[in-house]
Amino acid sequence: MSEQIREQVSAFLDGELPSTETELLLKRLTRDGELRESFGRYALIGEALRGGRTTRLTKGFAARVNLAIDGEPVPASGTVGLKSAARWWRPFAGAAVVAGVAAVAIVAMQQRSLAPGVAGPGVTISGAGAPAAAALNVSTPVPSAAPMLAANHEAISYTVPSAPSAAPSGRLTNYMFAHSKYSYGLAQRGVLADLLINDDEPAGAVREPAKQIPARVAP
Amino acid sequence: MIQALRHHVRTGWLFPCAMVGALLTGTPVRSWAAEDAGLWLGKMNQALANRNYDGTFFHLSGGRVQTMRIVHRVRAGRVMERLQLLDGPGREFVRNDDELTCYLPDQHTVLVEPRQDRGPFLGSLPQFGADTGEYYRLETLPDARILGRMAHVIAVNPKDQFRFGYRLWLDEKTAMPLKTQLCDSHGEVLEQILFARLDMPENIPDAELAPTVNTEGMRWVRQGPAHEAASPSLSGFRVSELPPGFKLTVEGAQTIGDASAPASHLVYSDGLATVSVFIEAQSPAPGTAAPGTASVTGPVTGSVTGPATGSDPASAAPPADAPVQGLARVGSGYAFSTVVQGHQVTAVGEVPALTVEFMAHSVKGGAEPAHH
Repeated sequence: MSEQIREQVSAFLDGELPSTETELLLKRLTRDGELRESFGRYALIGEALRGGRTTRLTKGFAARVNLAIDGEPVPASGTVGLKSAARWWRPFAGAAVVAGVAAVAIVAMQQRSLAPGVAGPGVTISGAGAPAAAALNVSTPVPSAAPMLAANHEAISYTVPSAPSAAPSGRLTNYMFAHSKYSYGLAQRGVLADLLINDDEPAGAVREPAKQIPARVAP
Repeated sequence: MIQALRHHVRTGWLFPCAMVGALLTGTPVRSWAAEDAGLWLGKMNQALANRNYDGTFFHLSGGRVQTMRIVHRVRAGRVMERLQLLDGPGREFVRNDDELTCYLPDQHTVLVEPRQDRGPFLGSLPQFGADTGEYYRLETLPDARILGRMAHVIAVNPKDQFRFGYRLWLDEKTAMPLKTQLCDSHGEVLEQILFARLDMPENIPDAELAPTVNTEGMRWVRQGPAHEAASPSLSGFRVSELPPGFKLTVEGAQTIGDASAPASHLVYSDGLATVSVFIEAQSPAPGTAAPGTASVTGPVTGSVTGPATGSDPASAAPPADAPVQGLARVGSGYAFSTVVQGHQVTAVGEVPALTVEFMAHSVKGGAEPAHH
């Protein structure tokens, strides 16, 4: 990615790219798959560095940050005439902030290592409301939601298996399509958008291995 | 029956009056923010449903980006929409009041399905009531700049781990959502829509709503009536225990793929998130679509016209002799399949994995064992 395009992407994500340049960037992104990938990575990093109030870094996110850092040259300090001090990638110009991002990634890894139930594939529920039954090769939650919520606000953890795509992808798509007509607007848009996208990987594949979803009980 | 989306219709003087009233009565600031957020969500729904717009946006999910164009026109009370994938295989959806047509050039197939849902492609949110407020918290975040415009930022935060939330950046002048994020209960972004261009013209010509796909030689599949009846052996199945706030809103039947008999289709909602639970009497027939494609749901009663050139979706999926079990990620949501009393059960929805698994495992038949 050239410096100029990098700056365009940054300005766009900051909402500051003029409309004429936005049109050009859009055309480039439509044509260039690699640029789209870079754009996606920058958008993710931007969300984190922009200071998303509650943004959490998962294993998948940390990996993508590392990928972005490894895959993209770090601009030299002061080489770009930025229009806005708020540009999210500006900190990458300084090694100190790169270290900061690395520290964030380490924190994310520490969080993972502290979380139970990540050793292998399969679904694991532990903590309050934990499963007693095991219908499959996974442990499953006892179907009683109220105790889960009322259990002294004790956190439970939930691990998405690494390769659980059990159903044929065509059938999953059929289910989602049938479901989409009953989804509320924003969710429906997501379903339809996903159906429009031509996945290289089979639909239904888990894209982020062993993603941690620590449960939180409503206060 | 699921409630149709209703829009907030509030006059401009209500909000300032409410603000003064709250100051006088000492209403907590927090409820203020929620009130303000609710007003803006109402404005957004109005804008999405009633305005003409033509925009290009990025769809970011799982670190991947797709570019899409949306065209939405309201003329004489009739709504037409076109959603087009600008990169990739050039798939398009076109919807009018009655039908959704899916153009799948890579599959040489056009699917036509009757749709009663009137919500815009771009998505809206239901009116927030007391029930919804029990499981989601509305919040107003600091304003931000998007597309060179000032935007109000609204968060719809789930209060537990059974549902996802949203953040919306709404144009200060038009209330159109310039950016939306689907988030989990910790605020982690799962999916994002980010506009690069958004025009709101007075008029949109017919040509802008016509598909760009050349349908010559493509296979047309037209779905029949949506109303079917599940067999008596399926009608007794229900989700016996539900995550907090979820209620049965729709009960029907739906033929999935080229299955020989319709599945029972139960829809549960908390007012914002929905989960479909499908119960099938026997091991399901193979799907009718290649991976990642929209396919036929419901009976194919219409005629198939035109040669089935290229890959035939009906022959693309492998046979499925055994029941399906396990968890899968589908788009930004999840699907979980299991077997209950010899029946295939699958729960799908744009909810966390925990929710679909919980509901699938909670499915029970009637008092008597179901026949199969």
